[in-house]
Amino acid sequence: MTLVLPSTIEARKAEAATIFGSHGVPTRRVEEWKYSDLKVALGEAGIGTDQALWQVDTLPDGVEMFDLSRNGAPDWVQKHFATAGRNIMGTASLTLSDGGVALRIAKGAKISRPLKLTFQGNGHVRGLLVLEDGASLTLVESVGIADFRNVGFEIVLGEGASLEHVRISQQSADAVLVEEASLCIAAGARYCAHFVGFGSKLSRMELEIALEGEGAQAHLSGVSVLDGKRHSDVTTHVIHRHGNTASTQLFKHVAGGNARAVYQGKVTVAKGADGSDSHQSAKALLLSENAEADLKPELEIFADDVKCAHGAAVGDLDAESLFYLRARGIPEAEARGLLLQAFLEDAVAEIVNIDQRELVRTELLTALKRVA
Amino acid sequence: MLEIKNLHVSVGDKEILKGLNLSIKAGEVHAIMGPNGSGKSTLSYVLAGRAGYDITEGLITYNGEDLAALAPEVRAAKGVFLAMQYPVEIPGVTTMMFLKTALNSQRRARGESDLDAVAVLKLVRAKAKTLNVSEEMLKRALNVGFSGGEKKRLEILQMALFEPKLAVLDETDSGLDIDALKLVAEGVNTLRASSRAMLVITHYQRLLDYIVPDRIHVLARGKIVAEGGKELALELEAKGYEHILKEPA
Repeated sequence: MTLVLPSTIEARKAEAATIFGSHGVPTRRVEEWKYSDLKVALGEAGIGTDQALWQVDTLPDGVEMFDLSRNGAPDWVQKHFATAGRNIMGTASLTLSDGGVALRIAKGAKISRPLKLTFQGNGHVRGLLVLEDGASLTLVESVGIADFRNVGFEIVLGEGASLEHVRISQQSADAVLVEEASLCIAAGARYCAHFVGFGSKLSRMELEIALEGEGAQAHLSGVSVLDGKRHSDVTTHVIHRHGNTASTQLFKHVAGGNARAVYQGKVTVAKGADGSDSHQSAKALLLSENAEADLKPELEIFADDVKCAHGAAVGDLDAESLFYLRARGIPEAEARGLLLQAFLEDAVAEIVNIDQRELVRTELLTALKRVA
Repeated sequence: MLEIKNLHVSVGDKEILKGLNLSIKAGEVHAIMGPNGSGKSTLSYVLAGRAGYDITEGLITYNGEDLAALAPEVRAAKGVFLAMQYPVEIPGVTTMMFLKTALNSQRRARGESDLDAVAVLKLVRAKAKTLNVSEEMLKRALNVGFSGGEKKRLEILQMALFEPKLAVLDETDSGLDIDALKLVAEGVNTLRASSRAMLVITHYQRLLDYIVPDRIHVLARGKIVAEGGKELALELEAKGYEHILKEPA
C-alpha cells in the first residue's frame, strides 16, 4: 500500500525536511545539545531510517485512534499533525517516519481509565494526541527497549482540557533514546507531566510547551536515578504566549558512578503575556566524585508584569540527617536510601494517579538500592 | 552499665573532652550539668557514635563492650538512645514511616521478627497518647514544621517506643515552656526502671526539679569538676557555675 498524504501534511513534512537537512544530527556545538552529544553517542550507525513501532493497550472507551501509516487521515489528524514543534530531532522524525499513532479524546469526554501507550523498537516514530475542549485523560507512556529510537510527539489540549502524562523510562545501558514532545495548551487547559528516568547511554526528553490562552497551565516534575555511565537529559522550553498563564517545574536527580544528569529549562514570557507566573526548580545529589549534574534554568522575559522564580542546587546527602537515622537503629545503607527517597519525594508526590505514583515509588526504590 | 574512663575527645584539631570519668549503673539516673562549651553535647554525640568526634584516649565500656567500636545503628539496637537537642527535620519521610523503619531495624539487628504496620501503629498510638503527640503529627514529615515542644515530645516518644537500656537526654529542656517541660519530664519519669540507666544533660537546674537524679556531675573544660547528690543542682542554681569552677576539682 502506498501512503498518500493529504497535501497539507505533505507540505508540513517537506518544511520539516528542509529544516532537518540544514541542521543534521545535533552535536555539542548546538546550544540546546551542549550537554548531550547525540552524534557521538550514535557513532557510525547514525540515526538511520528504521521505522519504530507503537502499541496501545486496550483502548479505553471514548478514545479514537488512527494509524498514521494508513491512508485516509481524518480531519482532526489533518488539522493538527505536524503543526507544532520544529526542534531538530522533531523535524528528523517528521522527515524519516512514515508511521505512528494519532489519538483523540472527543469534546467533554472524561476518560477515567489511563491510556497506555508504548513506543518500541528501533528507528523513528510519531505520536499525536488531541484532547478536545473539556476532555480529560491520564496518559501512561512506556519506553520500550531499543538501541536507538527517536519519538516525535505532538499533544494538543483544547480549552479547559486536562491531561496527566506519566512517562517511565527503564532502559538498557547502551540505548540511545530521544523524544521530543511539542504541546499547544489552550485557555483554561492544564497539562501535568511526570518524567521518571533511569538513564542510558544517552536518554533525552525534550519538551516545547506553548501556553496559548488565558489560564493555561503546565506543571512538570521529574526524577532521575542514575548509576554507571548512564546519562539522562531533560530539556524543556515553556513559552507563556498569553497573559495569566502558569507553569511550574520541579526536577530532582540522583547520580552515582560516572553518571550524568542534565536539566535545561527555558521559560519564555512573550511580550504582552502579563500576569504570567512561572517557577522552576532543579536539584541534584551526587553520590560519587565522578558523577555530574548540569542544571541550567533560564528565563527570557519580554513582558512587564510577571512572577518568575528559578533555582538550581547540587549537593551531597546531609550528614546530620544520616546520623539521626543511624542513631535510631537504621543501618547506613538503608538510611542513605531513605534520605534519597525523601529527596525525590516532593517531585514524586506531584503524580496525581495513585497507581502510577506507587509504581514510580517502587521503581525508584529498586534503583536507589543500586546507587546508594 | 556505662563506664567511661579517662575519655579524651577531639573535634578536628580541638580537644573538647580532657580526661572524663563517669560510671552509671542500671536503674540510676545521672545528670550532667555544665556551662556552655564545657563539652556536654560532645559527650552525648560520642556516646551515640557521631562521625567527626575522635576518641584520642580512654575507653567507653557499655555492658562490658567497647562502645566506640560499634556503629551508631549497632549501639541503638543494643539499647543506646540519644534524645537530641536539635532533632533533625527530614522532609519526604513521614514520622510514622520513620518510627516503623527504626523500630524494625533495631528488632532485626537483635534477631527479632519485624512488626507489621498495624502492630507498630498500635504501639505508637498508645505511647503517643500519654505524650500528647497527635495522629496528625505522626502523618507529617519527620520533625518538619514541628514546634520545639513537639520535637522534644517526639524524641521522648521514640525513647518510649525503643525501650533503651541507656538513655541519654541532651538538653531536652531547651526551648520548652513549663507545661511542655512537665509533660516531657513525666514521660521520662515513667520510663525510669531498674533495668535502665539514664543520663540527663542540662544547662539549667529547672529540668532536675522534675526529673530528680540520683547523682549530679558538673562538667567544665572537658572534665568532671564536681559531683554530688541532687542538692548540688540547687547549689549551682544559687551560686552559679563560676563558684564551683574556682574550687580545685
